[in-house]
Amino acid sequence: MANAAKRFEVIPGQPRPQIAFTDVTLQLGGKTIIENLSLGVRPGEFLCVVGASGCGKTTALRLAAGLYQPTSGRVDFDGQLMLHPRREIAIVFQDYGKALLPWRTAAGNVSLALEAGGMPAAERPARIEELLRTVGLPGHAGKYPAEMSGGMQQRLQIARCLAQEPKTLLMDEPFGALDAMTRQGLQDEVLALVAASGATVIFVTHDLDEAIYLGDRVIGLLPHPGRIGIELAVNLPRPRDQLSTREHPEFLRLRRQLFDFIKAAEQ
Amino acid sequence: MNRNATVWLWRAASFAVAASFIALWQLIANLKLVSPVFLPGPDRAWTSLVRGFSNGDLGNKLAGTLEHMAYGWLAASIAGIAIGAIIGSSRIMRTYVAPSLEFLRPLPVSAIIPVAIAMLGLTQAMALFVIAFGAIWPIMLATIHGFAAVEPRLYEVARSLQMSRLAVIFKVALPSASPDILAGMRLSLTVALILSVVCEILAGLDGLGHWVLLSARAFRSADLFAGVILLGLTGYVTSVAMSMAEHRLLAWQAAQR
Ligand SMILES: Nc1ncnc2c1ncn2[C@@H]1O[C@H](COP(=O)(O)OP(=O)(O)OP(=O)(O)O)[C@@H](O)[C@H]1O
Ligand SMILES: [Mg+2]
Repeated sequence: MANAAKRFEVIPGQPRPQIAFTDVTLQLGGKTIIENLSLGVRPGEFLCVVGASGCGKTTALRLAAGLYQPTSGRVDFDGQLMLHPRREIAIVFQDYGKALLPWRTAAGNVSLALEAGGMPAAERPARIEELLRTVGLPGHAGKYPAEMSGGMQQRLQIARCLAQEPKTLLMDEPFGALDAMTRQGLQDEVLALVAASGATVIFVTHDLDEAIYLGDRVIGLLPHPGRIGIELAVNLPRPRDQLSTREHPEFLRLRRQLFDFIKAAEQ
Repeated sequence: MNRNATVWLWRAASFAVAASFIALWQLIANLKLVSPVFLPGPDRAWTSLVRGFSNGDLGNKLAGTLEHMAYGWLAASIAGIAIGAIIGSSRIMRTYVAPSLEFLRPLPVSAIIPVAIAMLGLTQAMALFVIAFGAIWPIMLATIHGFAAVEPRLYEVARSLQMSRLAVIFKVALPSASPDILAGMRLSLTVALILSVVCEILAGLDGLGHWVLLSARAFRSADLFAGVILLGLTGYVTSVAMSMAEHRLLAWQAAQR
């Protein structure tokens, strides 16, 4: 216990974790959902989280977003106790259809984040256009979310999150509902965006290949209650490539290891 | 193209129905199936309407009724949305206050008219109170429902953007509830018109209700019908105007279907 608590104190020569879970336990409705979770995410790291359905991935992400407060233990952001959600932490929800304002156009949805950040109205249009271009939605500024495909809506949600200029980007199975081609395209776009902005990422996914392809590190959660079961460093060269990275011997080795873990967890 | 043609066909059909209705009315009047003292023909009602407007009497009465209706409806809208928002955005308020509302709501407004008269007398203030009280219910209940039904995910988006309470209300909750609120406001429009007439009759306030009452007492059936026709038109025109406003304000909903 004492050991775990010490894990994330500032060690000279090592960067302080941007997000640090220290012995985090969360109970909801009398049920322990997460137990004694300790985890540090370095600034600029791309961390992927996998695990069976219902093991607590979304819950862990909501703790990192400040949307839940731990029952015991603590969550820190940049060395400060996280007491509430903050603009520096953006969250991309899985259900993009519910996370966008249906009465605002694409431009209006991006604008929401700029308004919240206090950007003067005169500066917004140019920034909105730039952001929509960044996520591959130029020329769709005037469309309502309902007029866009799932992939476009998810891009729009990502654009709004980028408008927050977040230090940390939390993504909850962002591509889960999209077809394979759209998905691979968006994976590469997210990698490029993150590389350009230097943001720290926690990325939740069901897809083990996706986790290895994107991450610097992959953790696998075990259910009932949610805790870390495996932790793998991904030493694959960047930039990643849909063909060569997925054929890399290291990719195949990690993939094997992760599959074995998930299989064992299911028994 | 095809759709347009259908729309025009429907319009032509409803116009034909209205025209034959008036023709039937004229026929009944001409045949004196009902004594002309009680039922004037459309021709006489029309003459009376034109005369009333040309000497300014009817125009003033119409203005009076529109004023009562508008003030009462606006007061009901502001209060209904404000109270509805407070109740609808809090689960605790919903559980504790909503049942009492369900008790008050079916109470006929006519039951509070004597109370209002006792407290405020036969005054404009009494009319405003009664109209607003009757018209507030559809708006308030619709607002409560609209606020309670806001997608929780959107509140989380607002929280992670650290939006102020006021910004959350005006940028998230109100727009999300606006279809419900506008529908409630449309229902209230009719209620406000009915109560305006009732109050004018009871308190002798300047308006179409008073005009209709006086015409009936004096057996001026053509004037009476002119007033009734004008009331019908008022209800129709305000409700069409409201529908058009709704259509414009809720253009985003068309995209969802
Ligand atoms: N508000 C809540 N109250 C009670 N239990 C909850 C609540 N939210 C989640 N749970 C439970 O916590 C557990 C973890 O839920 P969570 O949504 O974090 O899982 P997940 O790993 O994201 O699953 P999935 O892969 O299906 O999205 C589940 O068993 C769920 O039933
Ligand atoms: Mg989940």
